[in-house]
Amino acid sequence: MSYLLLIFLPIVLSLLVYFITRNTGSAKYMALGFFVVMLIHSTYLYTQLPESGYMLLGSFLNIKAFDFELVLQVDRLSVIMLLLTSILLILVALSSWTVKKQAAYFSLLIFFSGAIFGVFMSTNFMWFFIFWELTLIPMYFLVGIWGAEGRVYAAVKFFLYTHVASMFILLAFFLIYKQSGTFDMTLIKDAVLVTPALIWWLLFVGFAVKMPLFPFHTWLPDAHVQAPAPVSVLLAGVLLKMGAYAMIRMVILMLPLQAQKYAWVILVLGLLSLLYAGFMALYETHVKKMVAYSSISHMGLVAIAISAISFDSLSAGLYEMIGHAFIISPLFLIAGFLHHKTGSWQMGDMGGIMQKAPYISAIFVLAGLGALGLPATMGFIGEITILISAIETYGTWLIIILLGSMLSAAYLIWTFRRVIYGEMSELVMKTDFTMSKPEFISLVIFAIFIVLFGIYPQPLFDMINQTFSAYTSIGGAL
Amino acid sequence: MSAFVILFSSALFSFGIHKLSILKSLGMTALAVAGVLAVLGYTTPLNGFSSSSAIQLFEVMVFIVLGAVILSEDENINITQSLFIAAASVLVLESATLLTFVISFEALSIISFILVSNIKDATQAEGAVKMFISGAIATGLIVLGLTLYALEGHSLNEAVNIKAGIFGTLGLWVMLMGLFYKLTIVPMHSWAADSYAQVRPSHAAILSGVAKTVVVIATFYIFSPFILENLSFNTPILVVLSVATMTLGNVLALFQKKIGKILSYSSIAHAGYMLLAFAAVQSSYASTGLLYIAIAYIFMQTALFLLLDKLSNGASDMTLEDFKGLADKDKFSALFFTIQLFSLAGIPLLAGFISKAVLVYAVVDADMTIVALIALLNSALSVAYYAWIIKHIYFDEANRKNKIASVQKMPLIAQTVLLAGTLYFGVFAYSVFSVTL
Repeated sequence: MSYLLLIFLPIVLSLLVYFITRNTGSAKYMALGFFVVMLIHSTYLYTQLPESGYMLLGSFLNIKAFDFELVLQVDRLSVIMLLLTSILLILVALSSWTVKKQAAYFSLLIFFSGAIFGVFMSTNFMWFFIFWELTLIPMYFLVGIWGAEGRVYAAVKFFLYTHVASMFILLAFFLIYKQSGTFDMTLIKDAVLVTPALIWWLLFVGFAVKMPLFPFHTWLPDAHVQAPAPVSVLLAGVLLKMGAYAMIRMVILMLPLQAQKYAWVILVLGLLSLLYAGFMALYETHVKKMVAYSSISHMGLVAIAISAISFDSLSAGLYEMIGHAFIISPLFLIAGFLHHKTGSWQMGDMGGIMQKAPYISAIFVLAGLGALGLPATMGFIGEITILISAIETYGTWLIIILLGSMLSAAYLIWTFRRVIYGEMSELVMKTDFTMSKPEFISLVIFAIFIVLFGIYPQPLFDMINQTFSAYTSIGGAL
Repeated sequence: MSAFVILFSSALFSFGIHKLSILKSLGMTALAVAGVLAVLGYTTPLNGFSSSSAIQLFEVMVFIVLGAVILSEDENINITQSLFIAAASVLVLESATLLTFVISFEALSIISFILVSNIKDATQAEGAVKMFISGAIATGLIVLGLTLYALEGHSLNEAVNIKAGIFGTLGLWVMLMGLFYKLTIVPMHSWAADSYAQVRPSHAAILSGVAKTVVVIATFYIFSPFILENLSFNTPILVVLSVATMTLGNVLALFQKKIGKILSYSSIAHAGYMLLAFAAVQSSYASTGLLYIAIAYIFMQTALFLLLDKLSNGASDMTLEDFKGLADKDKFSALFFTIQLFSLAGIPLLAGFISKAVLVYAVVDADMTIVALIALLNSALSVAYYAWIIKHIYFDEANRKNKIASVQKMPLIAQTVLLAGTLYFGVFAYSVFSVTL
């Protein structure tokens, strides 16, 4: 029951929080409190997990006629996602400390936290879909109200684009139910389905939009750029991970035979995302768009790892998902901060920020170096493990992944040159770069994670490896 | 005693006290008593009427929604009208033979003509006239069909004979077309796009929210055996009509500036979704899906038009411009409007989502995957105009003196009731799955 509350309490109470804190400004403390409780809960769940398989947390609202039952079950993969999500939510709350219209903003964040927990905890397709769609609502408002100049266009496009994609997912779920008689995702394998290939494709397209893979990525640059910086963090760190999580869980592990058959599709789209987005980032002079494309490029890496379908590659992919969340977030936050202070998005208007704001610049450079895969950062571990595991599966030609790394080195170092170092521009000269304490603390925490797990990735890999060894032991795809 | 007797007599009685303020409480009480009687299983004590658990559930929902209408109404004449509508709805829903169905259907139509003739300005008059003429055409078609059917020698005083010959089948199809005229199925939809948007919004709430769903449920109840009998002929026609209706409704809604007009086109699109249940009649989920979407729709659509009525003070020319910055002016109305719109758009945890999901699943179950995909994509695209209204409510600032009236306490309570329905049926699907048509 308490786990049901973990999902529905935030959803229901978010409105109440809004009306209570409308005039007091205490919404942020409440939100932070909520998220800390969620982190504690997720940690507790992690310690309780069995060696392998799912842990049942309860099932509610059973409707026999339609198998419409809210079953809450978690396994290691979902708990890792819960941990990542709750850590990110705390950091997002901190970095939103000085946002305007706080009551509404933090209520929406609280609402979002409930929906996203639902996504990772429910194993009934219908409820999974309900929570999956529900995450769009707070995001729509967060982008549309607090976003930058083009916020309305970005919000509506994001909502429509991902909602249309979800319809393919829903159709796939309906087909699964028609052919197998159950909405329980733990019971589905290729063999029980009549048209597994059709279902695989529907699911793949639906999740590829969320992830996003080229050519389904076009909503992302708009949404990421226009969203307020902390919301970009949520988009990149949580929403994209939802897509990757569903991709691993449903497209790979649930339908292993189809996955083997069509892995090349994921591989090709992953490579295209990696390179296309890399070149786009190189071309961009808009600082946040550059980060957004870099984000797509890294999700391409995750897709390549997923497509290799081996124990090593899935572990590497999951590691990179976490690494991507910690690396790209400070980049988004700082890009948003720079725009907030200078009023400009263009790299050409900046320059020499290191001299005015050394600490923030240092974190930007550190995260950027992480993104280009410098050893001793999370980015390096992610990229090298993906490279090795992909080569194990596909052969040496996949060395071309390194092209992606070279590209990211090119656009990031060039960005450092234009934004952080170089001569101080007039705009930077007259701008005051003071940052509120909580915002800065969240940046520091991100930086610590990047370096800590870059130098000492063992504890993270211990968690991750157990995830997939559990699947090996129950005779899944691997 | 039955729900119909109570409602009809209290409606007649309300003429006697139409100047007194207790009329509102009388109306509410009558609806409550009628609801209890319906739950207890009392059907209309006349030949040719019968009921089922699904009909009972739906009747109760109609009473709750009409109760909310009465609660937010301040003109006594409309309270009387609502009681008449409730009584006629009971008859339509409980009719089991063609004759009783046609007679009660006409009764409902005539009451709705009288309802919309209570006009405030020329636009509303135009809407009322359009509605009257289209209603006359629909009646003509229905009577024509009935004649063809009867001439072949079938009794009207029993359920539809599914083994009808050529003329009988033709007659039934002509009747169906007459009913589809009323249900705003493309290509017989254009009157509704105008008149729902032109009549007073609170009247449109009753017409498009209550009357339409009542008729669609009864039509399904009467005609589904006939459609089921000759699937290979009937299904393609119904699929084409349904897909055309939802697609045209959604596409045309994108280009509208008036809120009322957007809701009208959305109502047309929803008629298309509801018709899917007729097309997928061989699936056992079709009836549940239709009942579910009818229940969801009666709450959402009635709530939206009622609130629009209050915000525009009874006028029917509210535009998107006027809605700019509504969230800053009137937090509660903005929230109610938004949640009901999200429900119409099929966003989860609201009744609009599950109802559409069950309905579309019926289509998948009937092996029409492509049709299901078209319906889903339609529903997804419809988000564009719902989100666009919400954009005006929340993302824009009021840029000029827009004519938003403030909403009183009573209508807000009525809205809360309707919202409770939308939320309840969005999560607790059990209550709909446990009944059968």
